[in-house]
Amino acid sequence: MKKQFENNRQLIFYFLKGSKAYFILAILFAAAASLFDLINPRIISFTVDSIIGSKEAGLPAFFKGFIQGIGGIAYLKSHIYFVGVFVVIVALIGALFRYLFRLFNSKGAEKFVKVMRDGLFEHIVHLPFAWFTHNPTGDIIQRCTSDVETIKRFLSEQLTQMLRIVIMIALSLYFMSTISTKMMLAAAIFIPIIVTYSLFFHKRIGETFEKADEEEGILSSIAQENLTGVRVVRAFGRERYERQRFESQNTIYTKAFMKLDILITWFWSIGDGISGLQLLTIAGLGAYFAVKKEITAGDYIAFVSYNTMLVWPIRSLGRVISDMSRANVSIDRIRYIMNSEEEVDDKDAIEVDMHGDIVFDHVSFRYNEDSPLVLDDVSFIIKKGTTLGILGGTGSGKSTLMYLLDHLYDVSSGHISINGVDIQHINRDYLRKNIGLVLQEPYLFSKSIEENIAIGIPTATRDDVEEASKIASLNEAINHFKNGYKTSVGERGVTLSGGQKQRTAIAQMVIRKTPIMIFDDSLSAVDSETDAKIRKALDENIHDATVILISHRITTLMQADQIIVLNKGKVAQVGNHQQLRSQEGIYRKICDIQNIGEDIS
Amino acid sequence: MRKYQFFGLGKIIPYIKPYRKEMVIMVVLGVVSSLFDSIYPLFNRYVLNHYIALKTLDTIVYFIALYIFVLVLQVIANFISSYMISKVELYVGRDLKNASFNHLQTLSFSYFNTNNVGYIHARVMSDTDRIGTLVSWRLMDLVWNLSYLVIVFVIMASIHLKLTLILMVLIPIAVVLIMYFQKHLVVLNRKIREINSLITANFNEGISGAKSIKTLVVEDTVQHDFEEDSNEMQKVSIHATHYSALFVATISIMSSLALAVVLSAGGRLSQDHLMAIGTLSVFMSYAIGMIDPIQSIVEVFSAMIQAQANIERFSTLMETQSDVADRQDVIERYGDTFHPKKENWEELYGDIEFRDVSFHYPDGEEMVLEHFNLKVPQGQNVAIVGETGAGKSTLVNLVCRFFEPTSGQVLIDGRDARDRSTLWLHSHIGYVLQTPHLFSGSVRDNMRYGAPEATDEDIWQALELVKASDIVKKMGNGLNSDVGEGGDLLSTGEKQLLSFARAILANPAILVLDEATSSIDTMTEKAIQDAIQTVIKGRTSFMIAHRLSTVVDADVILVVRDGKIVESGKHAELMEQHGYYYELYSRQFEEIQTEKAL
Repeated sequence: MKKQFENNRQLIFYFLKGSKAYFILAILFAAAASLFDLINPRIISFTVDSIIGSKEAGLPAFFKGFIQGIGGIAYLKSHIYFVGVFVVIVALIGALFRYLFRLFNSKGAEKFVKVMRDGLFEHIVHLPFAWFTHNPTGDIIQRCTSDVETIKRFLSEQLTQMLRIVIMIALSLYFMSTISTKMMLAAAIFIPIIVTYSLFFHKRIGETFEKADEEEGILSSIAQENLTGVRVVRAFGRERYERQRFESQNTIYTKAFMKLDILITWFWSIGDGISGLQLLTIAGLGAYFAVKKEITAGDYIAFVSYNTMLVWPIRSLGRVISDMSRANVSIDRIRYIMNSEEEVDDKDAIEVDMHGDIVFDHVSFRYNEDSPLVLDDVSFIIKKGTTLGILGGTGSGKSTLMYLLDHLYDVSSGHISINGVDIQHINRDYLRKNIGLVLQEPYLFSKSIEENIAIGIPTATRDDVEEASKIASLNEAINHFKNGYKTSVGERGVTLSGGQKQRTAIAQMVIRKTPIMIFDDSLSAVDSETDAKIRKALDENIHDATVILISHRITTLMQADQIIVLNKGKVAQVGNHQQLRSQEGIYRKICDIQNIGEDIS
Repeated sequence: MRKYQFFGLGKIIPYIKPYRKEMVIMVVLGVVSSLFDSIYPLFNRYVLNHYIALKTLDTIVYFIALYIFVLVLQVIANFISSYMISKVELYVGRDLKNASFNHLQTLSFSYFNTNNVGYIHARVMSDTDRIGTLVSWRLMDLVWNLSYLVIVFVIMASIHLKLTLILMVLIPIAVVLIMYFQKHLVVLNRKIREINSLITANFNEGISGAKSIKTLVVEDTVQHDFEEDSNEMQKVSIHATHYSALFVATISIMSSLALAVVLSAGGRLSQDHLMAIGTLSVFMSYAIGMIDPIQSIVEVFSAMIQAQANIERFSTLMETQSDVADRQDVIERYGDTFHPKKENWEELYGDIEFRDVSFHYPDGEEMVLEHFNLKVPQGQNVAIVGETGAGKSTLVNLVCRFFEPTSGQVLIDGRDARDRSTLWLHSHIGYVLQTPHLFSGSVRDNMRYGAPEATDEDIWQALELVKASDIVKKMGNGLNSDVGEGGDLLSTGEKQLLSFARAILANPAILVLDEATSSIDTMTEKAIQDAIQTVIKGRTSFMIAHRLSTVVDADVILVVRDGKIVESGKHAELMEQHGYYYELYSRQFEEIQTEKAL
């Protein structure tokens, strides 16, 4: 069994496989970029104080050495453009790090989402079939797309941004303190104020946004309903009502967003005010300390630059923190999927020769513990290489019977065995690979017809595909399409009719040449003539396979070696056509009806 | 050509006009705000040139007072202008939504048949939003940044012209670089969106096709396909980031370049005491800050180019005219879609006649009806049968005037349908859909959809008549019970019964039934059959039937194949013909009978 994720952190770390290093490098590059950003103000203050002015520069030793090397301050004084060159070099290195930060951050983010998406997809296709019946498709897709996106943003934008901001603030404060500790403290006092006020606002903004978003959802679905129900609207002549309905919700929606915008406007304005006051404080204190000769003009310019650089990171910190709290919900939703248990085989699952007798031994089945029995104590034997016909009404459980044989569900009680081995102990993939099951409503993939037919057999050649479609009486229809076998099915291709879909599914099975073949009412959308043609072609090609036919048509079933009549989950009659025809019972009744059906003329 | 149309903005002027006052305030305050923003470095200049250079704090109180004064003014200007921007954005968006939605209500079916719901929905919901943003935030970005740039360059030029001119050389270089990156990013982002929708489709396939994937044991194959797409996504996304990261790096280098120019040229001036330190610092601030506005301006233009598509789609929708429009004299007498003149409406009795009708769909060329004649006297039941997709809806579409005949006439009570308003006709038609459509809201809301004046008593009576009252009672809250979005809280069969009740309440003279193909359980099926018999009594009715057992008693059966009517007559006559109907009927008969026997 795959591991269960007890908390959100575990899940994130699981998906961080392969991307952690990128993120760590990205943060390091971010720190380096910030460091280089912070060098420029120092170059400026040095230029102002020591090149333009004549103050002895308090530079780090290696810089002093560097300046000595190129000819000392005097050289720079006469070649001031050199400073400009230096600024550009620092900028280039800074830009390089910034580029590397973004690139590695994105590499990390994309690797992370890829691992997560692939992991989710892989997990989902391996979930037991029952899982899909009680988890709505739309909801799962939502989780796999927008929740994944939210988590990606959390890691690659919010988390890295927060770390960057913290690094930036720490470095700036350090550089500031080398100029004046008192002024640094004055600047730093504003940080908690700004962060607190923006957290305060963002909580409200978040709530107001949710409300506005809901109103948008309502408006959107009014439009949606109007468009999908356009026939009803027109037929009842209710255009005026629809208009009122839409307009009034549109007003509500606009008001909700207006409220949100006003709140945001307040947020910005107050933020502008606080930042303005901070800049003023630094200007005032700077003037004061400069007059007291504690700092130089160059120091003042550098300090103001540092302070300006800090404004935006600090102001966005509150937003980042409040956004980050939202990711938790999304991680929870992904964790739900990842914690759903996959289908697993027994440890000692084996592969048996599938050319063998199939035995249903007192099989009962219900979907949930509190739901009624769908199959009730069903027992029968299909001898190897024979054909079984199943007749039954809607809801009689005949499809379920086949799903059990294919191990899509586990039996509630009883046993199903093939060649003497309980299917519980047969490797699932092996079992399914050897059972061809044509579903009543087959699902075709958005690929070409050829790829659809060959999907179970990657090694199939065009000849194999053509042969299979001939058997399924599909080749004529395919040749009719402009792109023949390359015609793509579904979304952006040709829409196949119900009968064509069924025949594609039959070809899909024929090409696999499985030892067990099941036709679950697979010819219901095909006319009688084609039905007969397909059955004849199948008979010639089936050879030693064990065949199960589910159908309404006696003509389809009558040649089976054995026929079961299923009624409300129970076996009502068993026998071959001759036997059942001569018995009192459902089968004879239906034979009579269908014969009469033909005698009507 | 495009340039002259100015990004197609001309077409949306009528929708912006009502807010011209707000827009003027917005633009004026935007200029004011950018002015204040460009002033701030001058405060630093004063600090350096006055306090620090002269070592005095003499005017500090005034300095602080002036600073705060400017700050307060700026905050107020920003507050009001962003309030105005929001107002313009949201109100223009709202008006565009109303206009497009209302226009859609007047369009005929040919529009809805050729454009899918998702496409139309995006016109109403997202194009309108984009246009709203364009005329507010984007416009404001343009105004603010342009005015900021102009002001900054004016200030710089007044301080030192030559240095300013050198800096201006950087502008065209920056513009070219930014445009280059923008172009690439737009293309890459579009590609990312495309792959993204592929991935969503993949998930959908993995989930909806779960049963097939398992029975075919192709988990690995689909997983492999999925990974191909997700690999592509990874590749393109990183490629896009590569560009955007280069972009950001370039911008920051440009800023530093401007700074370097000022520092070396201005530094020389300062050395020679031709420029005060404070002035040099102001120049440096402006130089560093001049690239951002250029970037914003380029981005606005790129956004405008993209929004042009939104405007075009919106105006195309607004220019689409219904091909089933009423004549002017008809509108004068009977009123239009939103303002009916019910006092002039006649009763509708229910005689219908197709007289020499030929018809082809607006998006097709093949004639599906040619010189078709059929009289349907009041109270008759017409059944239309044929395979899925054979074109059974055509006659009904013509009776309901969802489409107009290409030639010939459809007569209602002996008069051409076009002589009276569409709304008049529709108000007398009841329509029960194959996939029953309920609106989100309560049972009562839905029941009253075709009969706004119906009392609760009427509603219960109608529900009783189709034996749907138990369904409603079971829902717990009587007529107030919520049906969910699109009636999701009910089963298909239940929805169908409720839509029968809805049709009965409207008491229509003409009834159209589009019978369901989906298999519903036998009990519900029986209930629906009974409901059909109840509702068609005494009304002219058209029934699109998939189950032939339901049409046996129809007065006329029309058999449709490949879009054309191939046979017509009563059940017994058609069976005798041994034609297509006979074949269809025999095929279904055995199935139905088998079901019945079991």
